[in-house]
Amino acid sequence: MKQAELVIIGGGPAGLCAAISAASSGAHVIIIERNKRLGGQLVKQTHMFFGSEKQFASTRGIDITGILLNELNKYKENVEIFTDTTVTGMFEDGVITALHKEDKYFKINPKAVVVATGAFEKALAFPNNDLPGIYGAGAVQTLMNVYGVKPGNKVLMVGAGNIGLIVSYQLMQAGVEVEAILDAAPKIGGYLVHASKIRRMGVPILTSHTVKEAIGKDCLEKAIVCEVDEKFNQIAGTEMEFDVDVMCISVGLTPLNELLSMRGCQMKYVPQLSGFVPLRNGNYETTVENVFAAGDTTGVEEASSAMVEGYLAGLCAAEKIGYRPDDFKERKLDYVKQLNDLRSGPVGRHILAGIEQIVI
Amino acid sequence: MRIEKHPILEFHKGRKIKFTFNGQEVEGFEGETIAAALHAAGVKILGKSLFLHRPRGFYCAIGNCSSCLMKVNGAANVKTCVTDLEDGMVVDTQEGKGVIV
Repeated sequence: MKQAELVIIGGGPAGLCAAISAASSGAHVIIIERNKRLGGQLVKQTHMFFGSEKQFASTRGIDITGILLNELNKYKENVEIFTDTTVTGMFEDGVITALHKEDKYFKINPKAVVVATGAFEKALAFPNNDLPGIYGAGAVQTLMNVYGVKPGNKVLMVGAGNIGLIVSYQLMQAGVEVEAILDAAPKIGGYLVHASKIRRMGVPILTSHTVKEAIGKDCLEKAIVCEVDEKFNQIAGTEMEFDVDVMCISVGLTPLNELLSMRGCQMKYVPQLSGFVPLRNGNYETTVENVFAAGDTTGVEEASSAMVEGYLAGLCAAEKIGYRPDDFKERKLDYVKQLNDLRSGPVGRHILAGIEQIVI
Repeated sequence: MRIEKHPILEFHKGRKIKFTFNGQEVEGFEGETIAAALHAAGVKILGKSLFLHRPRGFYCAIGNCSSCLMKVNGAANVKTCVTDLEDGMVVDTQEGKGVIV
């Protein structure tokens, strides 16, 4: 069995920042990433980030991975990276099992762990929602922006949050028609700047609308859409038809929390954080000692806050196992301040109401 | 179905390679996943559901939802949305739960 100091599960924005923070403090870090490359979902984010300079505002997501990897490379003697490797379990005695490329199975016994497994896309219930041609909006983003393949010809986007708006714009950049964007809520959830851009391009955003039914023999051919009232009940007689071969479902994400649950971390369902999340202290340590968590797995937000949470969790995890840098206090305060700044808007207040329920 | 021109991105395609899908020869590029190559070739139906035999395509494209499982080089239940395409691969739609070789 491999002995280790700090294992970081997930090489996305939170995991990479946790690794930078811990390795720069002097801890030896092992990053385990199930994909063949690091960066998580940053690899498909062609839009420019918000936030402040410290979270790479105005930089495109696709370029942020490179910046983080360069930073990580400064501490390369402290970093070991396993890509194409899936963590299959976290056990009571602290042992982690992992599978490399479907054939090499191994065990690691670390002093501490940062779980940064991210989140995954939710589905939406309506008749025939399983037809090929109906995809998660993030899936379509991967197909287009990573592999250069169009999802189809005409798209109906379901969900007017930031992902729905951004992916609609990216579909048009790829030369795909977006027929309309729907949202069951009476108001657009995403930033106005994104919504205005979409509207200027002539795409209607239909609030208080939902999908009544998808129609198609083997693949999606048509979508029936209808209005909903203030209680989200469908209103008869308001049906509209869209001839589309693609529907993107962008109704939010939910934390990937299986490993934390398996390890015995106390979990709580928090609607504001989009699912079951671990209880944690201000250092991002869960109820299981030396098991830390950061990023979307602790509550769905944005890559900007995931990065700062990663820095903070990595710093505190390293400190817990004996690597306390001289500027520990200043760095910790800075990360806390950055998170507070990121959560200062109306969406942030919603997130904070969720965080209040899990901080112990 | 491939993007020819993009305002921000440049797609550096790998070497052109050949594989088979249900016995038919299909072309793809090195560095892309099986599901991406199939989609570019117009194949959206990757399998059938276990009990009702409804058509299945990928949903999440990041290896979470298991909606893209296929038989690859004889091995069942391969997540084609995160598995790299290789020259000469034999890709087939899977019937039922698949057999572990």
